[in-house]
Amino acid sequence: MTRDEVIAVIKKNILDNLEDLEESSIDPEKSMKDLGANSLDIIEVVSCSMRELNLKIPRTELADVKTIGQLADKFMEQIGK
Amino acid sequence: MSDALKYSLADFFYNDSKNVLDPPSDFEEWMSDPSVRVGFSFYEQKLLAAPRSSTEILSNVDGKKRRVINLMSYNYLGLSTHPEVIEAAIEGLRKYGLGASGAPLLSGTYDLHVEFARQLAAFKGKEDCILYSSGLGGNVGAIQGILRKGDVFIMDEKCHKSLVDGCTLSGAKMLFFNHNNMQNLDDLLAKNKGKRILVAVEGVYSMDGDLVKLPEVVEVCERYPNTAIYIDEAHSTLMFGKNGKGVAEHFNLEDKVGISFGTLSKSFGGVGGFICSNAPIIRYLKGYSSPFHFSCAPSPVVIAGLIKALEVATRDSSLRDKLWENTKYFKERLDGMHLDLGGTESQVIPIIIGASGEMLYSMAASMQTRGLFLQPVDFPAVPAEARRFRISMSAQLTKAEMDEALNIIEDVVARGMREAGLLKT
Repeated sequence: MTRDEVIAVIKKNILDNLEDLEESSIDPEKSMKDLGANSLDIIEVVSCSMRELNLKIPRTELADVKTIGQLADKFMEQIGK
Repeated sequence: MSDALKYSLADFFYNDSKNVLDPPSDFEEWMSDPSVRVGFSFYEQKLLAAPRSSTEILSNVDGKKRRVINLMSYNYLGLSTHPEVIEAAIEGLRKYGLGASGAPLLSGTYDLHVEFARQLAAFKGKEDCILYSSGLGGNVGAIQGILRKGDVFIMDEKCHKSLVDGCTLSGAKMLFFNHNNMQNLDDLLAKNKGKRILVAVEGVYSMDGDLVKLPEVVEVCERYPNTAIYIDEAHSTLMFGKNGKGVAEHFNLEDKVGISFGTLSKSFGGVGGFICSNAPIIRYLKGYSSPFHFSCAPSPVVIAGLIKALEVATRDSSLRDKLWENTKYFKERLDGMHLDLGGTESQVIPIIIGASGEMLYSMAASMQTRGLFLQPVDFPAVPAEARRFRISMSAQLTKAEMDEALNIIEDVVARGMREAGLLKT
């Protein structure tokens, strides 16, 4: 799976969980908070994306993730294992 | 499970098992890991006596009964075990029996409930008050009862889960501002200008012991019409302010707060919750707040004790004076050990030890074995890099108890952190 494909999964879940958002406005360099997500929305997006990608990463290891791109990188590390 | 200690309750919320009666398969595996079991053994340990400053527990650490100095209970003013409160509750039990035996609207409202609600409203300087059987029910019920789809609920990110749950039930849009960050609050208010907005803050934040910056919150909110302030005074009622009314009184801003929430389980020493506000919104809440009208009314025994507790706590300032004297004494000595106490400004004092879960639980076990009941607080309740012990100070603590507790904290926590290179000398 490529990084772009992982980002596509995250984007899909952002669109499913946040209101009034265009796909084109989701920049991987932005944080979900920048897009209007609250902390519960973020948990939902991360959890749904991990389920879809069949990953399990402890939340404690995601604490320093700021942007959507950084989240994709964390997922890629696990996919590569 | 490899790396079991890296996982926490935050990692098993979603459940893909086919049967709803089966928890996630990896949750079971995780819970049975020996290192995880050690961590969970600290929870639900049995107290064998009243929540006084010295009590007895049945330890899960070694299975022994043990006398302990108690820095855990929310019995901040000692009212749960105050002789006059106990006598009043016994009288209430004799007169009314154990339970209310009905929901408030039909048959659960007793003269005691009406009188106590009237006293609480007068105490908080509001027109009326509604009582709930639990503190959680009060927060959930107020938010769910007042807000509707299309409304906006903006809360400090460190507010209690009950406010989150209330908002989820209400269907209102839920937003969080960074802790005590007024610019962030202002930005969210600006983005939602024109809508009905409720802003929630806590008087004392329960995991850190710091206060809301209420003057700034008021100033920001007043720029936006139809924006009301909700203050959760769970950890501040009866303790802050000239008359013990809470943090709103402490800042002399009671009239700027639209809704004041309090619990009856902490400084009051009983159980329950209450909301004070203007009379029309309390009347409205009584019609739409599910935890009020679909729950049995609070036990008259507890209310009888609480009426006395309010009288004892407010007839003079002696109990809260003693609490603040103890808090000052204890905090000064913890500061002397160079421990990280976060930004505490209250009787809630965290000792932040850092990221190591192993160190947290090992210290908790050592302190308990030495006779100090001070429980670990772990992620996700607090950030993973700021695991901690959280002290609840009490007016009941004697100097001898405090000195012994400080000795144990010095020997176990301060020395342990110093040896691990985590403490400045």
